Order: sequence, then structure tokens, then C-alpha cells
Amino acid sequence: MINFLQLVKNEQMKLFSQRSTWIMITIISVLTIAFGIFMKVDGSMVAGEVPAGPDWKNELREQNAQLTSQKGPEDGIKYSSLTDVRMNEYRIENDIRPTTYNVWKFLHENLNNISILSLFTIIVAGGVVANEFKWGTIKLLLIRPISRSKILLSKFVSVFLFAGIMLVFLYGTAFLIGSILFGMNGFSDPYLYRQGGDIQQAHVFIHTVFQYLISMVNLVMMGTFAFMISTVFRNTSLAIGVPIFLMMGGNSIILFLSDKEWVKYILFANTDLRKFLEGSPMIQDLTISFSITVLIVYFFVFVSLSWYSFTKRDVAST
Amino acid sequence: MSDPILQLKQVKKTIGNKQIIKGLDFEVYEGEVFGFLGPNGAGKTTTIRMLVGLMSLTEGDVVIKGTSIRNNYKKAVQHVGGIVENPELYSFMSGWKNLLHYARMIPGISKERIDEVVKLVGLENRIKEKVGKYSLGMRQRLGIAQALLHKPSILILDEPTNGLDPSGIREIRSYIRRLAREDGVAVIVSSHILSEMEMMCDRIGVIKEGELLSIQSVESALQQPEQRDITLEVQQRERARKILSEWLNRPVKIEKDSLAFKMDRDDVPEMIRRLVDENIDVYSVNMYRSTLEDKFLDLIGERAVD
Ligand SMILES: Nc1ncnc2c1ncn2[C@@H]1O[C@H](COP(=O)(O)OP(=O)(O)O)[C@@H](O)[C@H]1O
Ligand SMILES: [Mg+2]
Repeated sequence: MINFLQLVKNEQMKLFSQRSTWIMITIISVLTIAFGIFMKVDGSMVAGEVPAGPDWKNELREQNAQLTSQKGPEDGIKYSSLTDVRMNEYRIENDIRPTTYNVWKFLHENLNNISILSLFTIIVAGGVVANEFKWGTIKLLLIRPISRSKILLSKFVSVFLFAGIMLVFLYGTAFLIGSILFGMNGFSDPYLYRQGGDIQQAHVFIHTVFQYLISMVNLVMMGTFAFMISTVFRNTSLAIGVPIFLMMGGNSIILFLSDKEWVKYILFANTDLRKFLEGSPMIQDLTISFSITVLIVYFFVFVSLSWYSFTKRDVAST
Repeated sequence: MSDPILQLKQVKKTIGNKQIIKGLDFEVYEGEVFGFLGPNGAGKTTTIRMLVGLMSLTEGDVVIKGTSIRNNYKKAVQHVGGIVENPELYSFMSGWKNLLHYARMIPGISKERIDEVVKLVGLENRIKEKVGKYSLGMRQRLGIAQALLHKPSILILDEPTNGLDPSGIREIRSYIRRLAREDGVAVIVSSHILSEMEMMCDRIGVIKEGELLSIQSVESALQQPEQRDITLEVQQRERARKILSEWLNRPVKIEKDSLAFKMDRDDVPEMIRRLVDENIDVYSVNMYRSTLEDKFLDLIGERAVD
């Protein structure tokens, strides 16, 4: 066990000795700061519109009247204004006063940065085995009295430990920037969100954590996929390129194949579990338990292929 | 002799449908430097990859200190330190962090031990620098340092002198000899250059196309051969050739104006007598001593006499 922790420490040491890792960390900080400043500037332009004063109920009614009189030509806009109208009604009915923008909302909006984390996780997972082959260091790594399974597991754990560190870092930076720029008031205000046709309320912090976690499903699956290609093909570019391409193009591929019977077995049709929360899965009659089963099967296939390839195959000269 | 530290038993390797290693059998003993000599592509690296567990054995077995790598890889390989081909280390980390990395993989290696091996290979002053800045010689030394961390009983070095200048080669040679003499480490060194092998090895095994052609101890290889290369200038070359090849029972070649063949030094006077008896005039007899180099070249067939 001590042995295993040492292996994980080694992987982390290698990771954090590489410049690319620090570039990723810098990108995350810069993006979060830039996003914060953008929201501050942009938010102050609309700040007057947040009806948080004593007469907020009447202001909301006015806003609704305005929204419903508008005729949005595009469905997306209609949908979003419809949501706004519903939310306003919900607030009036349940006596929930709107809150001004604050760090908790900022944290929630930072959720989209998880896709950048997924990208970085793919980069790390794609390199973690293949780079050792590329650098030739695999030879010195595998001539120790340690089983190959253990070494592979330490690498796998390290990839997701790294993703976890990045997540905490992202969350921490966003919290720091958000509380400086927007203040920490409003922690106990209920957070409203739309699920299916209904408006739901939740504690903003718990809701955010939950959304972060559920967004990690995609990250874990794509990371494991990259890890598998890295191990089986021993080629870093392939292990980074293919998952990124599929992650970017995944939705289009699903749409393109959406009339096929087997499309629901494709990994990408199942990775976005948030869709279930919002009540709008990409494909009809896909249930959450079906998706989770598919994800688990993919996960085990990826892990088994990696394990087989890493432990059974020769390390020959190329 | 004591029990061998390393034993190869009919080791074979087939990749695809090509047999690369065709049944190697040899042993290496404590305190011995064993040279593994053969031209490029002979199968040295492939054999070494099998010894350290990077490649599986198609057939046969390797026994290290009584443990078969087939049955208990972890136990067998804990006695082994090695470098396979070039010493490829993490160029973005310092030499010290590289050593720390390998030290963590075996329990019980202290920081003091790391410092000790750093000193042994003379890298104290540069050990905090990134390996990317090291010369090939320094990387080779760091490679040896990582192989020695856990005080292995057997050290396997694949072409450790590759790309080094003469002073680097001399240095490596002196570490290797010291390790074998003072610490009783069994060392296997592979090379395709005979003159290097001669200077550091006790025994040399010659491999070609995956087969072990011979194993010789270095002194005896130099002393034993009373076989000499002879060139002979005579009249009636064709007749002389026939007489000699019948008498010696081996091929005699005609090269330019002379005859060329091998024979024992002691038989030279007798040969001259015979030729004179046959009324063949002898103008000159030249004798060359075969060096180990010649033997090696003969063995690998790049300059066959017959
Ligand atoms: N992965 C491989 N696949 C097929 N043939 C290989 C492979 N690796 C090495 N060989 C062949 O095996 C032979 C021995 O190679 P190697 O062990 O590297 O020789 P050496 O180290 O003595 O120069 C060569 O003919 C080489 O082409
Ligand atoms: Mg070689």
C-alpha cells in the first residue's frame, strides 16, 4: 500500500514537473478571472434590472408583461423568455425575492469551465502511458519489482487525482474571484432552476456541487477513453486527438445517427446526465438507468482493454 | 565454481513468425563481467529485454538467484539493475528527482543511498540540473546510478559505451570493474565492439543471428591460439596447395602470389621440410598471430578465411 502511494507520488511529481501542466493551471486561472471581470462589467449594465427593491413583486409583473408581449422569432429565445416568465411567477407566488448577483451564482456559472477540465484531463490521460513509450522511459519504469497492474493503476488514479486537483483549483479560484467581485451575500437564498416543465428550488451551494459532480461523469468517461487509447496504441497524439475530436463532434454524430436504432448505445448519447435533470434527453426514450448502465459497461471495457494491453504485451523496440 | 547468479536455459524468442533468439544457454557468476558481443541486429537487446521482463520468453527460462522469472517475476527481478539501450530518463526533471522516482519504487532506499550513488558516478555537482541539459555521458552515468540504487546482485548494461568519447568509456569501464571486484556484482555488458569488451570482461559470449556461437574467457582467448595465419611464397603454387591441403586436412587458398592458410606454429618447420622434399622452392614464410578481433570476425563470418 505504501508502495502504491509512492507510485502515485511519482506520477504526480512527473506531471507537475512538466511545463504543460502549469500552462493548463494558468489557463484555468486566467479564464476564471476573465469570466469574473466580464460578468462584473456585463452584470453592472443589467444590475439596474434586478428587481431586488421593496417593490420587487410589481417590477416582476411588469417584466412578465413585457416578456409575453414580445414576439421572439426564434424558438430558443421564446423558450428562455418563457422560463423567465415562469420563474418570475414562481417568485411572486412563493414570495422569493430575487437576489443580486453574488459569488454563489458566479460559481454556478463557472460550471461550463468543466469542459475545459475535461479537455485537460484528456490531455493528461492521453499522455500518461503513451509518453513513457515516446520518451523511452517505459523501459526503466517496468524493470522494477512491481507488477504492471499496480503501475497502471497508479497512473489511472493519478489522472483523476489530477482532475480532482484541477477541479478544486477551479472552484477555489472562482470562489476567490467571485467573492472579491460580487460579495458573499445571498448564501441562504433559494436557487431556482427549471426541470422539465417545472420550476424547482434548491440551496444554491448544494445544487452547484451536485451539478459539478454530474458534469464530472463526462470527464471521467472521456479521461478513461483517452487512457485506454494511450495504453493500447502507445501513441500520445492519437490518445489526445481522438477523444477531443469525439468530444467536440459527439453531439453532431449523435444527431446525425439519431434515427438509427443503436444510437443509444453510443457513448456520447449517454455521457451528459445533466440532460436528464433538465428533462430533455438527446434521444427519445432514453432513461437515466439505461444511460448509467451503458456508461458502466463502457468504463469496464476501457479499463479491461488498458489492463490487458499494459500487462500482457511486450515492450519491444519500435 | 559457486552457483550462477543468472542462468539462461534454452531461451527463445519469436516475434511474428520470425525466430529472433534461437535457444541461448549461458550462466553468469558472482563478481564476473560477462561480455555479450555481437554485430547490430544479433539479438543482444532482445535478450536483455527478456532478462529484465520487458518481453516474455517464447520458450525456455531465465533463473535469477534461484528464482525463475516465469514463476516469480517480482522476486527474481529485485536482484537486477539495468539499462536497456539508451539511458532514457525524464528530461524535464533534475537528475536527483529522476533517482528519487526510481528509489520510491523499491522499499528501503534512503535519501543517503541516493546521495551515495550520485557520488559513486561522480554527478554531485550537476545532480540538481535538469536531465535535458546533460551530455550523453552524464545521462549514461545517471542511468548506471539508477541501476545501482537497490544494490543489485546483477547489473545488466546494454551498450553502455555507445556514443561515449574515450575518456567516458574508460570511466564506465572502471566503474564496472570496481563493482564486480569490490562488491561481487555480476555484470552483463553488451556491445558490438570487441576491443571494448576485451578490456572490461572476464568472459565473452559471441552472439550472431540469435545464436550463441562461443563463450571464451578473455585471457585464454589471447593465449591459447597457437593457430597462426600463414602466407607462403612458393614455386608451383598449385602443386604446393594440393600437398599442403592434404597434409593439413584443411583448405589452402591462393592469394595473389602466395598461399594462405592456418596452421599450428609448431608444425611450420615440418611443413618447410615437406615442401623441400617435394622439390618445391620456398621463397618466404610469413606468420601472423590471430587476435581476438580476428577470431571474433571469423566467428561472425564477416571475414571468413575459407
Ligand atoms: N519488435 C520487433 N519486431 C520484429 N523484429 C524485431 C523487433 N525488435 C527487434 N527485432 C529484430 O530482432 C533482431 C535483433 O534485434 P536486437 O535485439 O535489437 O539486436 P542488437 O541489440 O543485438 O543490435 C533484429 O533483426 C531486429 O530487426
Ligand atoms: Mg541493441
